[in-house]
Amino acid sequence: MTYKVTEEGNVSTVFLNGEIDMDVTEKAKEVILPLVESGKEVHLNLKDVSYMDSSGISVLIESHQKALESNTKVIVKEVSKSVLKVIMMAKLEQILNLE
Amino acid sequence: MNISESKDFLVSSASLKEVRTFSRDVFNKIELPQDQKDELVLAIAEAAQNIVKHGYKDVAETTDRMEIKISLKDNELEIGFFDKGKPVVPGNVQHRKLDDIKPGGLGTYFIKQIMDDAVFKKNEQQWVNHLVLTKKI
Repeated sequence: MTYKVTEEGNVSTVFLNGEIDMDVTEKAKEVILPLVESGKEVHLNLKDVSYMDSSGISVLIESHQKALESNTKVIVKEVSKSVLKVIMMAKLEQILNLE
Repeated sequence: MNISESKDFLVSSASLKEVRTFSRDVFNKIELPQDQKDELVLAIAEAAQNIVKHGYKDVAETTDRMEIKISLKDNELEIGFFDKGKPVVPGNVQHRKLDDIKPGGLGTYFIKQIMDDAVFKKNEQQWVNHLVLTKKI
């Protein structure tokens, strides 16, 4: 997994790339959670994420819940087809902010 | 078409990518819709992850290896997982309730959604755990 972060006003966009599994979830959380905890609105762009397992889904849930605690929001954007399928399998499409 | 292929992997989260590559290579030899292949790879990766995460919980590093065997015979897909981790108590293997939204606990749910059956067998003396996933394809 690789990533890129861009900032525009109060919005941080994290572009994730590659496969997100248990081996990289700590790295993903280290990137995403401090941005959320700082109160910024965080956009997670998943268009280049080709694979995500339950560990990756946990990162999305934790980010979403941390955002609620921090009175901000995480928006999951441009979800690839394969990742959307896993999100839907977990019945999270109504819980996570998907765009 | 009948297939039987197996491979062993170091028990480590770093091996999960290799597990997926092995699985994809095997399923590429079988005529299946890509979506179904992707689901099967996910189920295998989740089961392998459970070995790393739960079978070797509190074990910082190990040289143990786990084996995965993918067999197809008469349209019955059987995927075996062999490991020497902590003995699994099958009754304790449960996923969280889906409406209890929190990180974790989804891997087993995904496996049950994708596969027809998941059974722990006790017939392998040289291993501690032997999980068998099956699906009619």
